[in-house]
Amino acid sequence: MIKVNTEDYPWHPGMTVRVLLDEKLFTFRHIIVRVNGEFVPEEDYEHHPILDGDDVLVLHLMAGG
Amino acid sequence: MERYLRNQDAISEEDQTALSHKRVVVVGCGGLGGVVIECLARIGVGHMRVVDGDVFDESNLNRQLLSSRMNLGRPKTLAAQQRVMAVNPLVEVEAVQAELTSDNAPELLGNYDIAVDCLDDIPSRLLLQQAAKEAGIPLVHAAIAGWRGQVAVVQPGEDLLSLLYNNSRQEQGEEISTGTLSFTAAALGALQASEVVKLLLGRQGLQGELLILDLLNASSTRLRLT
Repeated sequence: MIKVNTEDYPWHPGMTVRVLLDEKLFTFRHIIVRVNGEFVPEEDYEHHPILDGDDVLVLHLMAGG
Repeated sequence: MERYLRNQDAISEEDQTALSHKRVVVVGCGGLGGVVIECLARIGVGHMRVVDGDVFDESNLNRQLLSSRMNLGRPKTLAAQQRVMAVNPLVEVEAVQAELTSDNAPELLGNYDIAVDCLDDIPSRLLLQQAAKEAGIPLVHAAIAGWRGQVAVVQPGEDLLSLLYNNSRQEQGEEISTGTLSFTAAALGALQASEVVKLLLGRQGLQGELLILDLLNASSTRLRLT
């Protein structure tokens, strides 16, 4: 099990940031991802592993006013 | 005072007096800023400095409370000042017609209790966070995109906005494609104003958390950032 934005989500082997984003339908273009507090750049989404027990934060980048 | 009768007892007479001695600087007088300024004027914050270098254009009319067909092409800060004076002349309001820069930030934030981030691009927001940190005052942040918005309180020494906008090479976020809606600006501006008032009165507010509001799904989420 992992945490995604404070909620439990089932983990499976082979999970990467990209896999998780696709599964959770985070399809917006402007996203900030942190795994266990560490920022993950977009170019690393394909290969950055999500491990069982990880705490993942996925934020939509918003700056309008 | 009859003006503040309906504030009671949510805001006690003692609170009301305390608010009348507080000083808040609102940076950005657009969609968020217009609502924040309106709320803070009506609740009786004693002094506001409103900062914006922009003038109203037609694309502001969809959401910016202070904009109207009559003031297109005119400074946003002037509209803010006139609105506050019309609603509550007990509130002192100083209009600063300027964009926030690293040069003017220390002077703009000096001698204020709280800064309010109602800006609309990432570099300016990070600049304001740094200025608030150097001034040693809290920053109340909000941002919107489409049906969504976020609010956070940044205490001096924290860098919450750097977590939200980490290493972003962009100036804008989702609002580029989703736009910015009237009720989202109103809802998030009101939340922002309530966090300002809680801070001014020493009440428990958001601490190290991001409050995300999704108006399309009528849901909210609080995420711990620190």
